[in-house]
Amino acid sequence: MAEKVMVKGTEAIGEAAIRAGCRLYFGYPITPQSELTEYMSRRMPQVDGVFLQAESEVAAVNMLYGAASTGHRVMTSTSSPGYSLMQEGVSYIAGAELPVVFVNVVRGGPGLGDIQPAQSDYFQATKGGGHGDYRLVVYGPESLQEAVELTAKAFDVADKYRNPALILADGMLGQMMEPVEFPEFRDLSTLPDHSSWAMQGAKGREPHKITSFDINEYVLEQMNLRYQEKYKKIIENEQMWEEYKTDDADIIIVAYGTMGRIAKTIVNMAREKGVKAGLFRPITLWPYPYEALAKLADQAKLFFTVEMSMGQMVEDVKLAVNGKKTVEFYGRTGGVVPTPNEVLAKLMELI
Amino acid sequence: MPVNMKQLINLVAKEDWPFTQGHRLCPGCNAPMVAKWATMTAKALGYEPVVGAATGCLEVSTTIYPFTAWNVPYIHNAFENVAATISGAEAAYRSLKNRGKLKTDKPIKFIAFGGDGGTYDIGLQSLSGAVERGHDFLYILYDNEGYMNTGNQRSGSTPPGADATTEPVGKVKTGKVQFKKNIVEIIGAHENVYAATASTSDPFDFMAKVEKGLKHEGPAFIAVLAPCVRFWRIPESDGPKITKLAVETKYWPLYEIDRGVYKITRKPRNFKPIEEYIRSIGRFRKALQHPEYKEVIEEMQKYVDTRWERLLKFEEATKGMYLR
Repeated sequence: MAEKVMVKGTEAIGEAAIRAGCRLYFGYPITPQSELTEYMSRRMPQVDGVFLQAESEVAAVNMLYGAASTGHRVMTSTSSPGYSLMQEGVSYIAGAELPVVFVNVVRGGPGLGDIQPAQSDYFQATKGGGHGDYRLVVYGPESLQEAVELTAKAFDVADKYRNPALILADGMLGQMMEPVEFPEFRDLSTLPDHSSWAMQGAKGREPHKITSFDINEYVLEQMNLRYQEKYKKIIENEQMWEEYKTDDADIIIVAYGTMGRIAKTIVNMAREKGVKAGLFRPITLWPYPYEALAKLADQAKLFFTVEMSMGQMVEDVKLAVNGKKTVEFYGRTGGVVPTPNEVLAKLMELI
Repeated sequence: MPVNMKQLINLVAKEDWPFTQGHRLCPGCNAPMVAKWATMTAKALGYEPVVGAATGCLEVSTTIYPFTAWNVPYIHNAFENVAATISGAEAAYRSLKNRGKLKTDKPIKFIAFGGDGGTYDIGLQSLSGAVERGHDFLYILYDNEGYMNTGNQRSGSTPPGADATTEPVGKVKTGKVQFKKNIVEIIGAHENVYAATASTSDPFDFMAKVEKGLKHEGPAFIAVLAPCVRFWRIPESDGPKITKLAVETKYWPLYEIDRGVYKITRKPRNFKPIEEYIRSIGRFRKALQHPEYKEVIEEMQKYVDTRWERLLKFEEATKGMYLR
């Protein structure tokens, strides 16, 4: 491990991707993540990698489709409206089972919205976004250090399951600076071997086929069933979450990403007032840690979901709690980040 | 009758400006000149302009809610969509008019504004579609040769040798290597279209083209060279001075393609070398320190010379040969 360095969020994710062995980046400028695109344009030539600025997000995502088909680690980064434009390609990539890492530095929506941080793309990230029965592994980091670690993890998981993964950050994480410890550079020769499926020259072997299509509906159904088997394995193996002071907690605050980090302060403030609060912070937003959260439903009296949206993850919290306890919600949106005081005031109202 | 100065002065004195002050574009930005001149010309001709804008500096800085600098009906849509959005508005207008359901008989004209990112790159598809379908609208591109709204990333319009954040000048490369797309010829190659270049150094040439574009029944397109003083690294006062030099060095020839007929609208008597243009703009400074800078200049000189000769020949060859 190297020493800690002070970096901007977008650049931290870019450097983490390079250290994880990503040598192909395709992107398009959009606030608040353009610095990641710029960083890759400077950095990729230094590591003998490829940086390519597309003419649109639609082009960028389909460049990923082409590049990932060769079996190399590839990524793009964008922000909400850009990720919306990419959805056709995301669906194709999921259907063709290509290991691609996406980064969405979420900003306020819907429509044009603004360029301030938000968590209002949760549904799009975790429930689809594009067409068809598909899933992306979705990570919601709370800090730049965690973003760096999850970026490396996203590449590994994407490779392991031949499935796209998504880092769901927000404008806050993208624009802030923090000390970060980067991992060592991944030795490229240790990256997973994709020669069994990738397009790397068919001379002397049967041709490979990368597709999300079959004209025979029964074959297409079989393909979908195979995806589902894979998703089941991901659900079994890849759930991540953090619990903070939940051991004796009566009230469980559920929050992820930037909001999850703020919620730790809220837990401590509540405890100073004598309220036994704890935090459940999902790190994988898909697969969602339903069972771990459900366990807390036996002990806690109240679940309180806080989001930088009008209430999206709260639906998963309700699914997990399954009617056993009350699930309350508080959210700000449009780029507003709730302060610990306002959330605490709301919490005190509830109890 | 063409627009004249007197008409415009009267308009400025007596009427609401279609595009007014109070916007938040940078001091010295050339984009508001383009918007102001175009919409005032439309007004002076007795038209009621309806404006569409693509995402970009002009849109962001003129409509910071709850404020707006637009005194005319205005619609914004995302980066790639202005030509499609204005198509929709124009189609609805035409349909209502044809069915006699329009409550006004004012002559409405549709004007779309887009920057170079939204025109050369992500918006090219919708622009081509709108021109091909033949909507009656005028598309005005304010070309500042980069994604300036997001911080100077390269676009399909950025010239070679320019230092852009996604194509920086370094030890190996002299910044961007590709030449600009010839957007006017791309649009001019469509059917029944009026396409032209213009420059902020020559408002009268621009306004005459706006007039032609508005009067043309069908799609019209004007690409205006409009520097971003911030990322071109030039003094705030120098935008039009620089674009004048662009015309005089053949970097940005002023011409039009009217339904296939080429016409050069300004022919400078003496040309200046392209190096003078390049040296006057700060964003080429790094490339000029590069060991290979002479090659960049030579290549540019050869390119603009050849293009000028080619334009002259096109002008000669297409004389009177209107495709429609």
